[in-house]
Amino acid sequence: MKTGRARRPLTAWAFLAPYAVAVVLLIAVPALLNVGYAFTDHTGLTRDPQFVGLANIRRLLSDGFLLDSLQASLFHVALAVPVRLLAAVGLGLLLAAPRPGGRLFRAAVYLPTVIPDVALAVLFLWVLNPMYGPLNQLLGLFGHPGYTWLADPTTARIGVVLMLAFPIGEGFIVVLAARRLLDGRLYEAAALEGCGPFGQLRRLTLPLLAPVLVLLAVRDTILTLQVNFVPAYVLTDGRPANATLYLPVYIFDQVFEFSGFAYGSLITIMLMAVTAVIIALQLLMVRRWRVLR
Amino acid sequence: MSIEHHAIRLESLAKSYGKVTALAGVDLDVREGELLTLVGPSGSGKSTILRLIAGLERPDGGRIVVNGQDVAALPPHRRAVAMVFQDYALYPHLTVRSNLLFGLRVRRVRRGEADQRAQQAAERLGIADLLDRYPDQMSGGQRQRVALARAVLRDPRVYLFDEPMASLDAPLRFATRADLLALHRELGTATIYVTHDQAEAMTLGDRVAVLHGGQVRQVGRPQEVYDRPADTFVAGFLGSPPMNLVPGGGVLAGTAGVTLGVRPEDLALDADGPLEATVEAVEALGSEAIVLTRCADGTRLAVRTGPRPGVRPGDRVRLRPDPSRIHRFEADNGRRR
Repeated sequence: MKTGRARRPLTAWAFLAPYAVAVVLLIAVPALLNVGYAFTDHTGLTRDPQFVGLANIRRLLSDGFLLDSLQASLFHVALAVPVRLLAAVGLGLLLAAPRPGGRLFRAAVYLPTVIPDVALAVLFLWVLNPMYGPLNQLLGLFGHPGYTWLADPTTARIGVVLMLAFPIGEGFIVVLAARRLLDGRLYEAAALEGCGPFGQLRRLTLPLLAPVLVLLAVRDTILTLQVNFVPAYVLTDGRPANATLYLPVYIFDQVFEFSGFAYGSLITIMLMAVTAVIIALQLLMVRRWRVLR
Repeated sequence: MSIEHHAIRLESLAKSYGKVTALAGVDLDVREGELLTLVGPSGSGKSTILRLIAGLERPDGGRIVVNGQDVAALPPHRRAVAMVFQDYALYPHLTVRSNLLFGLRVRRVRRGEADQRAQQAAERLGIADLLDRYPDQMSGGQRQRVALARAVLRDPRVYLFDEPMASLDAPLRFATRADLLALHRELGTATIYVTHDQAEAMTLGDRVAVLHGGQVRQVGRPQEVYDRPADTFVAGFLGSPPMNLVPGGGVLAGTAGVTLGVRPEDLALDADGPLEATVEAVEALGSEAIVLTRCADGTRLAVRTGPRPGVRPGDRVRLRPDPSRIHRFEADNGRRR
């Protein structure tokens, strides 16, 4: 009995070990090294980086490109997270109920998530093409002259958000599953009290899904601040006028293009801080508005 | 009786789900102030009737008349009915107060008035001290009271109860039954109460309707239905243990084409009785005992006796049926003769 009890935690640790080792080696150690490198002159090529104190931080504070980059990232997150959430939640709620053809539509919504980012980005090079892209043609049907999407700073940013509005399958699935778990009798009780579809959405569905929605918002914030790398690289390469020089793009440029490994490391820490601040603000809002019980 | 005296009248109400017939032409009425219990095995259509009256589903045919008005085309909230669900369907994200106010807010009742009415309903049901709790912070009995208060706030012409005690434990159920009856008397509103528990159906109902296979088999005062079951199904369903039914009459000396029935309490152990049987088992229930016997031709007869009947399995006994309490049913369709 006694040995069995003593052994149980050991067994648990043994099962956890492969994952724990990987987390330590591949995530924790590099992350700590990253913090260390941020205060050196490491280029990524030299063998013995030297400690340079706060030099990188001083550079950071006077870096005009970084300001552009930060601005681009904040614009992106402010637009992409609501758009993606709205799409995932809207489609999830619309398609949660069993109805003819529902499977087909659910598969269609999930499909873009399966497509590799690069392929989707190449597809969007065509979609956003001002000469023969379908988007401008669609606008043309309404008499609109269309945009030079990727050549103009604002529309380039919107173009990237547009592309990222499609791979929303994961959030969609979560909403779908969460909505299906809600008790149908609550809706019947509400219907008996004269609560119509919109009332039910406002008074039942959204409050009951609130924990899931908060989770999705937090997750999408983290994700959105990072996954804009691929579209920006394929569609715009950070241009025009640094409009899509999102933080991950700028980090990549610093580290691998300009051999500024140390400086890039410092910016990753900043990206993490930015992410943390945005999430903190979200959670503060959740508390303020009493979204959760 | 004219239609004005009925709070609810169902006329040849029919409903199928795909190929499954849930209701096959149900005629039923509930009088003003009456409590009608609907009882039947699972799948007999009890809950379907409630859902059709409430407007949660549409009938395939027939009429639903509430207060003299055919409501079949009206949406649920315009039918003047309130429903208490089996698991209460309280909104889990709202406090008791907000649960009670939910309907009033939807109906845009002024805030002051709404608060006052919610408070009154809570006091009436004895839950005024629970108003700030959430449903998951309450016991089953307390939740049930909240559900009742919510129904009372609708101020309906008809209450619909869908097995509201199914999830309460036995002692609580006993107490709640009395509370529910008191509330019903106080409100004086017509009520349909669905249950699969025959004891509940008998004790609560002014009248009881027995359902089977989507049809009403019998409606009447509980004792009347018990004493004169309309067919073999009702005879077998009400009463525990059920009525002894002997196809062809057998040991009860019937004629061909009949099924005879006798309730366990209408059979007595009697040394001079006309029936001979062997005791198979004795179920002592404390205040009474059930003696399970088997006759020579294989017919099984249950006998209700006083406590400590003084017989043991294997004993040979003689039984005397009360001749005035033998029920005769048609052998082919089970109807009472």
